[in-house]
Amino acid sequence: MEKGLIALAAALAIAIPAIATAWAQGRIGAAGAGALAEKPELSGTIIILVAIPETMVILGFVVAMLIIR
Amino acid sequence: MIQKMSKVRIIGSKLIMNEVVELLHTLGTVHIEEVPRETGLGDYFLREAPVDKDRVALKGRLEKILDKLMTLTILLPPSSTVTDIRYPISSVTSDVFLEALERLETEARNLQKREVELKDELSSLGRYERILRGLAPLITRLEGIKAYETVGLTFDRSKAGVIPLLEEEIKRITEGRYELFVRDIDEETAGIVIAYPRTFAKPVKELITGEAISEIRLPKDYEGLTFFDALTIMLKRKGNIPSDMEKVSAAIKGLSDRWYSEVSRLMEVVRDAIDEISILRFCSETHYAFIITGWIPSPDFQSLVKALRERFEDRVIATESEIKGEEIDLIPVYLKNPRLLKPFEVFLNVLPPPKYGSVDPTPFVAFFFPTFFGLMVGDIGYGILILFFGLYMKRRFRERKVLRDLGYVMTLSSIFCIVFGFFFGEFFGDLGERLGIIHPTVMDRTKALTAFLVMAIGLGVGHTILGLIIAIVNHIHRGRGRDALAKGSSLVFVLSLLLVIGTMTRHFPPELLPTGVIVLVTALFFLIFFEGILGPVEAMKTIGNIISYARIMAIGTASVVLAGVANRMVELTDNLALGIVVASIIHLLNAILAVFSPAIHSIRLHYVEFFSKFYQTGGRRYEPFRRHEAEASSEGKGHET
Repeated sequence: MEKGLIALAAALAIAIPAIATAWAQGRIGAAGAGALAEKPELSGTIIILVAIPETMVILGFVVAMLIIR
Repeated sequence: MIQKMSKVRIIGSKLIMNEVVELLHTLGTVHIEEVPRETGLGDYFLREAPVDKDRVALKGRLEKILDKLMTLTILLPPSSTVTDIRYPISSVTSDVFLEALERLETEARNLQKREVELKDELSSLGRYERILRGLAPLITRLEGIKAYETVGLTFDRSKAGVIPLLEEEIKRITEGRYELFVRDIDEETAGIVIAYPRTFAKPVKELITGEAISEIRLPKDYEGLTFFDALTIMLKRKGNIPSDMEKVSAAIKGLSDRWYSEVSRLMEVVRDAIDEISILRFCSETHYAFIITGWIPSPDFQSLVKALRERFEDRVIATESEIKGEEIDLIPVYLKNPRLLKPFEVFLNVLPPPKYGSVDPTPFVAFFFPTFFGLMVGDIGYGILILFFGLYMKRRFRERKVLRDLGYVMTLSSIFCIVFGFFFGEFFGDLGERLGIIHPTVMDRTKALTAFLVMAIGLGVGHTILGLIIAIVNHIHRGRGRDALAKGSSLVFVLSLLLVIGTMTRHFPPELLPTGVIVLVTALFFLIFFEGILGPVEAMKTIGNIISYARIMAIGTASVVLAGVANRMVELTDNLALGIVVASIIHLLNAILAVFSPAIHSIRLHYVEFFSKFYQTGGRRYEPFRRHEAEASSEGKGHET
């Protein structure tokens, strides 16, 4: 039972931020694609902007790993 | 580093101003600017140098020629054939040359137009062929019926429901004297042939036109022919088009081989000539002398003086002016780094230039980017793949500076991947260890997760603190003591907070706790004093920045786990060959991810976490008055220092 709860906690720790990241990246990506059509020179900046919300899922991953250990 | 710049003033006889401008253009070191009014000569004497009418006319003509040349580079496909013909500018502006350009443009346009026409014809014939072939059996059945008219229609098959309605309407108009045949032409289109007495031609046509149904009309060249005759001629024509297209393509290629490189070179010559006239608006003059002011990298100043003296003796003098306090933000920024570090400037080029007098972060990026990248990938096998990829990019994109520089960065970073891969004992994940080739020498990333996390956070502490130290140095360089003290307070606050957390979590001796708390409170007081209530908020953001470095561990672990999954595939399948294929595909996917994800996150750690501590935008790029021809020839020569 305890092991199951730990696994569930770890799964939630990564799943919820993953959904949040996907939502944020989807919106930034759509806006970025629009901006790129107008100004292709912004490609570098937009790649970075798309990568910014990944912090959530990355930290979720770290927390999940720590929970499992 | 940001190159030290000198403010230069060039004064000489008005008679030789154009020659001086030409020499400055060739030297390509002076960033020319408008002469400030406060030159000490007074507005009465100093005025903007007028550009004579002939030059204005010449500029207009050159701009017209440049437009034509640009059009030609669009019309002609790029060619690798290089011609080395040089034109004096006088021959470029002649009427004969302009006429030759117009003839060339007309020829290129006609060829392009012919190519488009042939492509359209081929596509149109294909469409008609499909329709006529589909309807041919229906039309055969109607042959020989006199006093009857036939009409061919096409329908979108998804709208087939309209056909019964159409039939009903035709039936009503023709009082039941009609024949209607339906046949599928392709997956999307259905063809209909309707035969009806000629007497009903008008109402039937009105129905078809009124309902906007697409009637099959033969192309203009085939009007009046029967469907069969048209189909026969179309097939014959369709067979001839490819050879016609080949001829046109060969003619375009021949034209491009002959002219493309010449046109490109001419564009540079014309641009240079336009620049030489445009720059005159920055020159000022008195009754007898001209004045040009600008900025030059300090080490190049003596070369400028020497070149002017050699060419014009004492008729022109160049002097170094004093830079006033308020001018510091106007000094153009010229990043000058050693050859090994220069490609890393590619990461700074996407940002506005830093302010003059601040610290150039390129050397730090050149050290930390490959380190973070190497730590995240940390695999000998992937490192070797990235090395080949980097070398390929360098070679393939020799002429494209940004991609060539990225290739260099990847090549260098791959070496770090290999070194860290050796420390972690990884060769395509745990494959090296399974084969007994290699073992972890420093840590096993799959097991020592906490140690890896602590190392990543530790790197974050070091990197962020370095950012704060650079900020302090920047403020001191720019004479902003209060800002330097504020950043210093922020630095002490972060360090003491880490000390307090460390003692509370028993990573540091507990007796350091009181000292840590006292320093923390003192730093907090100074922080509020210098920066207001936002000071502590900013300092706390730094703690968030440090935690963000945990991504090094997260991405590294994800990469090694995925590599482990690939290796396990071989065990899980009974078929060894299939297992190896599946594992190779996963490894390839992981290698591709290993190029992008660590690179993006590594640079993000620089932009968001590191640069936010000290990088002050607002500088102006150093744009020397130099020839386009010189720039183009230096592009392919590798990294300039």
